[in-house]
Amino acid sequence: MLALQILINGLLLGGLYILIAQSLNLIFGVMGVVNLAHGAFIVVAGLFTYWFAGRTGINPLALLPFVFVVMALVGAVLQPLLVEPLMKFGRSKAELLSLMVTFGLDYVLVELALQLWGSSFVSLPYLQSSWTLGGLAFSQALVVSGGFAAAVSALLYWWLNRTDSGKCLLAASQSETGAICCGIDVRRVRMLAFALGVALAASAGVLVIIVEALAPQTADDLTLLAFVIIALGGLGSYAGVAVAALLLGIAQSLTGYFVGGNAEYVLPYVLLILVMVVRPGRFRPV
Amino acid sequence: MRGILAGLVLLGIFIAIPLRSTGYLLQLGTDTLAAVAIAYGWNLIGGFAGYFSFGQVSFYGLGAYATALLVLRAHLPWYFAAPAGGLVGGCAALLLGPIMLRLRGILFALGMLGLARILAVVFNQWRYAGGSVGLSLPAVLTPVSVYIGMGLLALVAFCITAYFVHSGFGLDVMSVNEDEDAAVSVGVPTTRVKVIAFVLSGFLPAIAGGLTAWNHSYIDPTSAFDPSIDLMTVVYVMFGGIGTLWGPFIGAVVLMIAGEEFLVYFPNLELALYGIVVIATVLAFPGGLVGLANRFGWLMRPIILAPRRLPAGSAPERAEPAGTLPVLEVRDLTVRFGGLTAVDRVSLSVARGETVCIIGANGAGKTTLFNAITGVIPASSGEILYHGAPVSHLPTFRRAQRGMARSFQIPRLMRSFTVWENVVLASRHGRQSHRVVEHAAWVLHTMGLAGMWRDPVSRLTPGFQRQLEFARVLALHPELVLLDEVMAGMTRAEQEDVRRVIRRLPEFGIAGVALVEHVIAAVADLCDRMVVLDFGRKIAEGPPAAVLADPAVVRAYLGEPL
Repeated sequence: MLALQILINGLLLGGLYILIAQSLNLIFGVMGVVNLAHGAFIVVAGLFTYWFAGRTGINPLALLPFVFVVMALVGAVLQPLLVEPLMKFGRSKAELLSLMVTFGLDYVLVELALQLWGSSFVSLPYLQSSWTLGGLAFSQALVVSGGFAAAVSALLYWWLNRTDSGKCLLAASQSETGAICCGIDVRRVRMLAFALGVALAASAGVLVIIVEALAPQTADDLTLLAFVIIALGGLGSYAGVAVAALLLGIAQSLTGYFVGGNAEYVLPYVLLILVMVVRPGRFRPV
Repeated sequence: MRGILAGLVLLGIFIAIPLRSTGYLLQLGTDTLAAVAIAYGWNLIGGFAGYFSFGQVSFYGLGAYATALLVLRAHLPWYFAAPAGGLVGGCAALLLGPIMLRLRGILFALGMLGLARILAVVFNQWRYAGGSVGLSLPAVLTPVSVYIGMGLLALVAFCITAYFVHSGFGLDVMSVNEDEDAAVSVGVPTTRVKVIAFVLSGFLPAIAGGLTAWNHSYIDPTSAFDPSIDLMTVVYVMFGGIGTLWGPFIGAVVLMIAGEEFLVYFPNLELALYGIVVIATVLAFPGGLVGLANRFGWLMRPIILAPRRLPAGSAPERAEPAGTLPVLEVRDLTVRFGGLTAVDRVSLSVARGETVCIIGANGAGKTTLFNAITGVIPASSGEILYHGAPVSHLPTFRRAQRGMARSFQIPRLMRSFTVWENVVLASRHGRQSHRVVEHAAWVLHTMGLAGMWRDPVSRLTPGFQRQLEFARVLALHPELVLLDEVMAGMTRAEQEDVRRVIRRLPEFGIAGVALVEHVIAAVADLCDRMVVLDFGRKIAEGPPAAVLADPAVVRAYLGEPL
């Protein structure tokens, strides 16, 4: 029973991870850019939700569409300013330079968040009780946010594979030249991908703050978490990333219970290094 | 050389300024010199080798902890403990390097970031090292001594970097940054080169960490593995000029002093401002301050191993042909990618003095065959004999060093190097490595590139770039040359130039040539024997005229006759 309980908690956590990882995967797939400010966007959105919902008493889930739209606009403004100018250097050079730029952006955002909301860990008191079903307890917050996150990810997957605009994006991520030849405006697709990635990261932030405590300094941990999941699931593979996210959620909830909080925290990094040692080929994008 | 001396004098004066002062200025000086040393350390792996690391703070922290523990538990004086901490950092890099440096680009950067996180957690839990509370060290009575120690470290860091920009080894490191696969193909042992650069770049911040721990008399996991140290370092290096001798020094000094004067007005936005500086630098002037100076011809990197005037050079001594064994013999070579068999039990040989041409349609497995012969991809089965000895177990760079040279379909030159440096890079690792400059000069003269030996590659026309790639192949003084579609996409006149070079290859002491080609007409009269591949299989072999008349070849390659 206990094992089942841990397993379910892990799965729900994993649902949240899917969204955290998929948004980074989207930007990486289309632009070859690992957005190091990814975690910072999650944190900023989460802390904003905490602050705003705390003041006005509004339902945090109602804020989700608002945060999504605002952060999509932020992404749409930042991409042409910061990342697009680097694309002229060619893929491999742009990859490294964009790492630098987003590294800088990460610090700007984290520092701003520190100024606005301080450095203490906060969590939103929302849906504190649990549902019980056949002797199993389901934390309402975890069910709602994990479920929401999984749903948003599924929506993303559907959009990418079933709609024209989504297919454009997928095409551009597979071959830029090929996409150009098909009449796709790759610059616009890149902007769209970045805006969408940022908006999805921010949505994840809104959902994370319901479940877990966040502070500005956790931004890099979230970025790395997302990256580890992508690395485990396969760069650019959406299905693989979803599976990896669920497995990592379960693995973390198991180590958290049986070994301790610190082990739960380092687990993604240990996995990262392990995969590097055992299967370095896994890290080459297809 | 004069630049280096000037640099040492300048650095010496800079270090001497705060010596007589106390308190604030001395502390600022110590911190600045620490920043300089750490920035130089990062620049070795991030700037010269092109492996951006966001976790060099791992070594800083390891050095700090090793120093603190040696002082507290072994009662060593700090001036022994800090260098010992440096050794710990260097050893850690030596162990981690071969693992981490297999990753390229983003993956290496993030892997290092993850490593720093793991270490922070480990030290948080480790009671012996003080756990999350940290360790307190005895107070420093003479801050000047720490300052001098840090100054010496900055000098060492400068000298190591000066060695990088003046030596053949530095050229090897930079070739990794330019094009790692091409570097391997001219005999650069890239893994060893990267690991050495990584060890040095771990050693320097480790000592700086040790000295800083001693200076602050305190250390805990949060300050020892503080990720913002990496941000600062990256900012200093980018702002000053990445991959240059002067960049880290200028960047660290300018930004430290500017920060000290300026940040008083923005007490809490320090890191955000540094973030903005790195963004602005990358977008507006990616070369940093030194890059700007270079536009005026100042602070240029010297051309490595370049004599003042290009010597006439001399041809290598003719070695007596060793035996009658074929230069290259391939037996039943098979290469599989998953379920696809790209090369299927192919056997061929190149005898002494022979030119063998391998033709086949696109996807016939020609380039894969070359990649397997040179060791770029492993063969699934079969044997490769070079002068009768098996070479399958040798890494690519060793095969190149022994005289197995290859060219690429599209010239893969080191684009930020000069013509001279491209040739010297190969000459250093080839079979004339005992007379690098002489041989390189001779190759440049014979290939008609002597007039432009100091020019950067980016200024050459495509024709000369192809010529330079031949020169680089010859600089290895190879015995076997593998040419991969060197005439693809060329005009008739350009093809004629290349054909002339191929005809002259025996003059350079080359015993065997294998060409992969698509344009049959351009090679039919060049080769002694022709091998035809189709879907990874050898379907014909023999004199060109006979092969081209073979009905199987006509069917596979030219299409069914109507």
